[in-house]
Amino acid sequence: MAADTLAYGALVPPSPRGVRAAVGRVLRLGVLASATLLVGGYIAGVVSQPSAFTSHTGEQSHLEAKASFPHSLAALWGGIGHGDGEAIIVAGILVLILTPVAGLLTSVVAFARRRDWLFSAIATWVLAVILASFVIGWLTA
Amino acid sequence: MNLIELSLVLLGTSVVAGVLGSLLGLGGGFVIVPVLTLAFHLDIRLAIGTSIVAVAATSSAGEAKNVGEGMTNLRVATFLAMATTIGAVTGALLSGVLDARVLFALFGVVLAISGAQMLRSHAPRAAVVRTSQTITAVSRRWDRLGDRLALDSAYYDEAEQVHVPYVVANKGLGLGLMYLAGTVSGLLGIGSGVLKVPAMDIAMHIPMKVSTATSNLLIGLTAAASAVVYFARGDIDPLIAGPVALGVLVGATQGSKLLKSIRADRLRVLFVAVLMVVAVQMVWKAVA
Repeated sequence: MAADTLAYGALVPPSPRGVRAAVGRVLRLGVLASATLLVGGYIAGVVSQPSAFTSHTGEQSHLEAKASFPHSLAALWGGIGHGDGEAIIVAGILVLILTPVAGLLTSVVAFARRRDWLFSAIATWVLAVILASFVIGWLTA
Repeated sequence: MNLIELSLVLLGTSVVAGVLGSLLGLGGGFVIVPVLTLAFHLDIRLAIGTSIVAVAATSSAGEAKNVGEGMTNLRVATFLAMATTIGAVTGALLSGVLDARVLFALFGVVLAISGAQMLRSHAPRAAVVRTSQTITAVSRRWDRLGDRLALDSAYYDEAEQVHVPYVVANKGLGLGLMYLAGTVSGLLGIGSGVLKVPAMDIAMHIPMKVSTATSNLLIGLTAAASAVVYFARGDIDPLIAGPVALGVLVGATQGSKLLKSIRADRLRVLFVAVLMVVAVQMVWKAVA
């Protein structure tokens, strides 16, 4: 970035370009992986059960929250094994949800490699709080 | 309508939500939830579960470019995330204790006030606040910590074709406001970009574009924590949330491109307009 190389005196400290690039890469990777699973899962669903997708009542059960779909890791794992389209879409959604956390984990490592211990510690603290709320949420769900 | 047609309509709506969401640093829930519940009569539980997936999609797709290109201030985001995440946990623990209707009303009023504040020009205030801050010993200590944090930075504004250096002010106040914003998201189950952007813009004097980009990164982190709960509860239907996620991914990618080329003053006006829409939605929830 040109912004980093221009001199603004004390106003602009060396910005963590390496850290930003690494986090950006991980986010891009997560988004691409998720989009692939979302599209692939949808196509797999249509191919395996074309009638469910083209009948004129098929969407009602979904809108009324009466459709069943995998929402535990065990069901998800089994579904993906059978090539179930909905399970693949769920996997894509989970990848998407976890992508920001993967970005945060990357910044913990990238800050540490730059010996920016203060920010590595701050990012680790944030990661710990998020993981704690995962656990609290999962147990109370 | 069949399932394929429904998916296509959801996809189209979500592209719009994604563009607005990543441009303004909001989750896009303010578009997704009303459309899904009012136009499609989708069950509210699934609508909220879908909306939280949309927030994660907006954040990741928008930030895939913004972070690398320096529009997002990663240090500010990491620093403020300390407060938003703790706030989100607090909010989740407090939910059920406080009356949601009072909160929605209060939230609507706070939004309206922030919107009015944001329309005031505040360009020269950064220097003034910086000077007045150094008067007291307390803020001198904060400034020393601030120097170690090295939050100040610069970004390249493509619309104006200039490099915009900026000084981050009132870090302590910013942390406090982010804690409150996080608590509100935990309590009301909304992404609180509408509070995070004004906190950075008004209190911390961060340029508008950097504020929305940085907020966009923050909302992904808070969404991740709650989305796992919605998944476990079975509130995320893949055939509703899947097309929405894909549409938002496409829209948010475009939104981050638009953020570079839009003029900062127009972005501010657009943000305040959307903020007023959200304020009305919140007051509506309080009285309906």
